Amino acid sequence: MFENHQLDVLPQHQQIVYKPLANKALLHAQLNWLLFYLPLTAILGAVCFFNQEFAALAQTSLLIGLPIILVISLVYNVVSIRLKGIAMREHDIAYRKGVIWQQVTILPFSRVQHTEIHRGPLERKLGLASLRLYSAGGMSADLNISGLNHDDCKNIRQFIQKYTEARQTVNSIDKENSDDVLATDESANG
Amino acid sequence: MDNLIWQRVSPWSLVYFVVHFAFRFVKDGVFNLLPIMVVFVTQVEDKLFWGQVTVAVAIVGLLVYSFAYHINFRFCITDEHEILLNKGVFKKERLTLNFLRVQNVNITEPFYFKPLGLVNCIFDAAGSTSQEAVLPGVTTQYAEQMRERVLAYKETQQQTEAKQQLEATHSNEPQQCLVLSNKEVAKFGLMSNMAILALAALAPFMNAMLEFLETAVINRLESFYQQEMGTLVDAAALAVFSILVLVVLVAVLLSVLMSLIRFYNFQLYFQAGKFKRIAGLLERHQLSVSLDKVQSLLIKQNLIARLLKRYTVQCLQATGGGFSAGAKSKQSLVMPVLTLEQVKQVYQWVHPWLNLTGVDFKALNFKGAEKALLIKNLCFYALLPSALIAVMGYAGEGYSPVYSLLCVVLLSLLVYLSYRRYGYYFYHYQGRYYAVFRSGMISAHYRVFELYKAQSTCAVSTYFMRKSGLKSLSIQLAAGTVTMPYIKAEQADEIIDFILCQAESEQRSWM
Repeated sequence: MFENHQLDVLPQHQQIVYKPLANKALLHAQLNWLLFYLPLTAILGAVCFFNQEFAALAQTSLLIGLPIILVISLVYNVVSIRLKGIAMREHDIAYRKGVIWQQVTILPFSRVQHTEIHRGPLERKLGLASLRLYSAGGMSADLNISGLNHDDCKNIRQFIQKYTEARQTVNSIDKENSDDVLATDESANG
Repeated sequence: MDNLIWQRVSPWSLVYFVVHFAFRFVKDGVFNLLPIMVVFVTQVEDKLFWGQVTVAVAIVGLLVYSFAYHINFRFCITDEHEILLNKGVFKKERLTLNFLRVQNVNITEPFYFKPLGLVNCIFDAAGSTSQEAVLPGVTTQYAEQMRERVLAYKETQQQTEAKQQLEATHSNEPQQCLVLSNKEVAKFGLMSNMAILALAALAPFMNAMLEFLETAVINRLESFYQQEMGTLVDAAALAVFSILVLVVLVAVLLSVLMSLIRFYNFQLYFQAGKFKRIAGLLERHQLSVSLDKVQSLLIKQNLIARLLKRYTVQCLQATGGGFSAGAKSKQSLVMPVLTLEQVKQVYQWVHPWLNLTGVDFKALNFKGAEKALLIKNLCFYALLPSALIAVMGYAGEGYSPVYSLLCVVLLSLLVYLSYRRYGYYFYHYQGRYYAVFRSGMISAHYRVFELYKAQSTCAVSTYFMRKSGLKSLSIQLAAGTVTMPYIKAEQADEIIDFILCQAESEQRSWM
């Protein structure tokens, strides 16, 4: 990739083995979808019941369309959750997701600005949690991983916190040692 | 805490508060008031009377608020090296700013303080505008003294920086300088699209304005044209056309004026890894940016800039998010109009390697996107819309196949141009690794950054892309995201691996 430099062997991210989400993640995704879908169907049904004109116009297409959409989305959810995976390496965290656009995001721990654990009512019931990792410059969370076990979430967060703390202490020691080196380096480049 | 000596700012600072709040009202409030203004323009009968009443109430309110703000505004410099600010009228605020957290002390001299010899002293805190402290209407000596005090304290505290500073002064690097003439700055007005923004703000009043124009101007113009040219041309069309030309001219003039206000007497200095910029007509604004803090360098050239042979260079700093991504923020250092020679001069300071490689970054050996991108974009953005237009035209009347043909040709051209623009280039110089990403359509954008500044990486691929071994790559920087669509999968993987390796192993702080 460099015209003027031969690269050494790098740790390759293609060889990462992704860990699937928690067992209940699929259940959570399906319930979440149904919680949106069923009220919608109920409203449409009510409209059809009370408004005969609308019913005459849309009843048949709704009766055929809605179950098809339901089945497709449930299948989509299964595939989507199956394809999602998360992996921790020594210095970074990788997250794979997406059915049509498959996406692999890798975020080094040293770039994590802050972490958030989010739990909705459904997630609390199922013992799940969403982990959000923020880095600088992003519009929202860089990584938003839902469907993890709450304990796993807490472990990851703790790991990241320890990592950043350790790095900071190493950095401050290093800084004191390498001051002279740094200074000459700077002047060479300035 | 009892022995704090609270000081007030001079009475002249009242002028600053009035201007400041008036400006803020115009900036933040006007858009919220737009619906009311629309109602006012369309519904209220006695416009002049009520307009005067509203303006009078607004002015009195502004004066009273500013006065109350001035009364409540107190500041204090503590022995623990903190700046304390008490401010606010309805909501009292206490701002505490430690000297260590002050990034820089900026001194600005607004035009209304010039005869008094007063300045505003601005304590910049790590990137966020809401956290900065402003002491308005202090004497120049006091401001200079404050600046020295803060910097001196910071130096004693931060041994490393002090040493670096010392090294820099010892090596006695000459101060580099770049000055733009105001004629050049005016060109930026032509290049930037501020005029379009101004027109957009006028949109709600278009109806009322057009009505007024029709009765007052167009009819007269029409008769004028009729007299002068007879009935050779359609006088009404000519009249409307001249009005349009006039509007565009006014917009351009406005844009030039705005850029002159912003960049008047532009002076840029570079010494020991630090930029210092002074510019502004009404307010001389001094901005210093340390090269370490610059996350990426953005070099832009749009269509007009290309005709004028000028470039715009931006030093982007880390942003806290938000969709403007720091491009327009106060903290980003903009060099509005540079000739190629001047761009090279800036490179010499910032990225000396760019000059070593090939004189002109246009000559860099960019690697482009794969052909599949062209095919996909042609299908989705050229053929599909044209087909839709054709179908819709077929249903409607007066359809001619020429339209969709024209559409296909035009869109295909744009798609092709954007495909050609995508490119990336990596370079290794003195143990540091750099990347240049190019994108754009008619305009060209070059993003130059050091690899270890990357925040995270992301690779995206669809089923068909995986089949043909392709991936789209996006790298998030602290100042926006850089994307490179449709490159060979193994290439993308290698880039990602290398960038991660840099970000994780580099000991220097990215901030």
